[in-house]
Amino acid sequence: MTETMPATPETMIDMIKVSKRYPPNVTALTDVSLSVPKGELLFLTGMSGAGKTTLLKLIANMERPTSGLVEVSGRNIHKLKGKKLALQRRKIGMAYQDFKLLTEQTVAQNIAIAMEVAYRSPQNIRVAVRDLLGQLDLSDKHNSLTGDLSRGEQQRVALARAVANDPELLLIDEPTGNLDTTTTVRVMDLLRRHHLAGATLIIATHDQSIYQGSQHRTLEMTKGHLSILHEGARA
Amino acid sequence: MNFCFAIFRQLGRNLKQTWTAQLMTLITVSLSVLIFSFFYLIYCNMLTAGGRLDNDLRLLVYLEEEPGPEMREQLIRKINDFEKVEQVIFISPEEALARFETQLGDNSDLLADMPHDFLPPSMEITPLKNLRSLHQISLLADYLDSLPGATKVQYGREWVERFYTFTRLLSIIVILSGVLLVLTATLMVSYTIRLTILGREDEIEVLKLVGATNGYIRTPFLLEGVLQGFMGSALGLGALYLLFQWTLTHFAGPSILAIFSLTFIPMPVLGIIIGTAMTLLGIASHVSMRRSLRI
Ligand SMILES: Nc1ncnc2c1ncn2[C@@H]1O[C@H](COP(=O)(O)OP(=O)(O)OP(=O)(O)O)[C@@H](O)[C@H]1O
Ligand SMILES: [Mg+2]
Repeated sequence: MTETMPATPETMIDMIKVSKRYPPNVTALTDVSLSVPKGELLFLTGMSGAGKTTLLKLIANMERPTSGLVEVSGRNIHKLKGKKLALQRRKIGMAYQDFKLLTEQTVAQNIAIAMEVAYRSPQNIRVAVRDLLGQLDLSDKHNSLTGDLSRGEQQRVALARAVANDPELLLIDEPTGNLDTTTTVRVMDLLRRHHLAGATLIIATHDQSIYQGSQHRTLEMTKGHLSILHEGARA
Repeated sequence: MNFCFAIFRQLGRNLKQTWTAQLMTLITVSLSVLIFSFFYLIYCNMLTAGGRLDNDLRLLVYLEEEPGPEMREQLIRKINDFEKVEQVIFISPEEALARFETQLGDNSDLLADMPHDFLPPSMEITPLKNLRSLHQISLLADYLDSLPGATKVQYGREWVERFYTFTRLLSIIVILSGVLLVLTATLMVSYTIRLTILGREDEIEVLKLVGATNGYIRTPFLLEGVLQGFMGSALGLGALYLLFQWTLTHFAGPSILAIFSLTFIPMPVLGIIIGTAMTLLGIASHVSMRRSLRI
């Protein structure tokens, strides 16, 4: 498609012919190309094992592609090292499917950690943590050990940590897998607010109720290949 | 500002999490420093004492009979021909007795019944200040012994030799205990740092994922080593100082220690010991970190 746009929107993510093979011979992604403009909200769906998590991990620089190029904000992120890499990671918030929470620390500490590494002031962090917990209906869990929480609660803590620094790119892996309808709405509201504030979001999910009927672009992964399920009304 | 705050918060958490190991390390480091500085302190005082001993060094040559004025001239010339000396004093039996009496002090009445010339005549030779090595002294002593009329040469040779051997031995002990100090302290610090890192692998992974810089992750561990170095050496030296003061008050007065007039390790050396401990343990934690912390 050759559309001529009056002003090309800035690109957040550019993936060109990216393949990922895990040792010994699991092919998770095959020649995936994807371009995400700044500010888009994108849904990623597909069967279990299709490669959704792998795609997000490549964008977050947790895994390296076997071949192909991954650029975020115009920079090849797999060439970043040291301080530049750390700064890049602070601009990306990822909520992991397996949460990656510190189970022996409190909920507040788990959320604060992302803001601490960004050297935000302690009062600032305290206020932000309370605010996030309120938005996710977890206010009473402030001092609970994260390991004692239910899966659904842990999922929301992981989400709170991901959005804590108001990152420009949010990668959310299965945000509502363990949640009831009311809480799902709450979580989606939070994500939508970040989207409206200008963040770019990729949400990987099995949950049809989230993306069906939305006007956002929705992509489907099938055995490592990417296809468009729904073009969406791109902004 | 917030960087420092974050670093110290992290350091505090590390210390809290592994405080038993930290305490063990602290004790080990202070003990090592205590042992090392203890020997060093003795060594220093031996050296000062040795210097004083050197200044007092005299060779005493006992003579068959009291030399006449001409003979004295000859002897002085011969001695100076062999080796230039500071001065030569001739001591008559009466003078020798008088000296002995003063040395005996209150007990001098023991000598009342002795004949006035029961001590042999002698000459006392003070070597030049630059003639200090044991070898040179013993050469001079041999020469003096061969002089006609000399019966015996005395300079506390045994004593001086023992003293030198002892100082040399002590310097070896100082070096050995220094090596021991370095080894145990660095091993202990590397070990506790490893322990801390292993106990916090999950957290370190998360820290990396949310964008902590290497400095943010590493500096607390580095500070931990430096802090152990500072606290450990300060405690060890403090303990040594207390021990030193205790010795002074309990063994003051007329005793062997009095002739040494003990001094504590001088301030600059204390600074060097503390500084070295801090640098060393900082390096130890850095190395240990490089090994167990893949960043
Ligand atoms: N670290 C790994 N080592 C080896 N194989 C892996 C690894 N991570 C993922 N895989 C494999 O890669 C493929 C894609 O996995 P991925 O986690 O990306 O799927 P997914 O779409 O996120 O699945 P789900 O919906 O169940 O979360 C799977 O076959 C998986 O077994
Ligand atoms: Mg997945």
